[in-house]
Amino acid sequence: MAKAIQNNIRRLRFDRKEMTQQELADRIGVTRQTVNAIELGKYSPSLEIAFRISEVFGVPLDQVFQYR
Amino acid sequence: MSFREKSAWISFICILIFGTLYGWHAVDVEWLHARNGNSVAYVFGTMAALVVLEIALHVAIAVQSPRDARTPKDEREQLIDLRASRVAFYVLFIGTLASLGLGMHLPGANRFLMAQLLMSAIITTLLVRFGIQIVLYRRDA
Repeated sequence: MAKAIQNNIRRLRFDRKEMTQQELADRIGVTRQTVNAIELGKYSPSLEIAFRISEVFGVPLDQVFQYR
Repeated sequence: MSFREKSAWISFICILIFGTLYGWHAVDVEWLHARNGNSVAYVFGTMAALVVLEIALHVAIAVQSPRDARTPKDEREQLIDLRASRVAFYVLFIGTLASLGLGMHLPGANRFLMAQLLMSAIITTLLVRFGIQIVLYRRDA
């Protein structure tokens, strides 16, 4: 089976007192629709955005994104 | 629906209206010889009216969601633009070549017909570009 990029953004947002997509979007400098597309696995972000997301949640990159 | 998607819809519909009016006029003038008015004035008048309409509609959606309107395009939106423009480029390329070929070799062809065909290629290109943008925004791509 082909590998794909998966992410834990929904769970990480939930752990941060249900951070909204809009709040995360504002902090990483993209639109809410882009956060939604990343969360649903429909769009793979650039490395820079991926690092910004992990920085917002204060966790290493591999806890946000996995390739499996 | 995001600000960018609304913007793409507005552009698509305005160009569709312009294309329809333009095509109607071109058929009238070129094949039916039904109008004696100034074609250039008609085309540029219609175009100017639709540009004003498009600006007014963009202002309206910007007032509805000012923050989205102020935010520059992010990387996903830029990618959507690029993907749509890439396909549109081929449409323009093929449309231009076809217009030149037809404009030179069709019986009774003249500069006016070639201009009509080139204009049609440009309108089709823009419709394809905004159409693909809408599809990609709809699919959350």
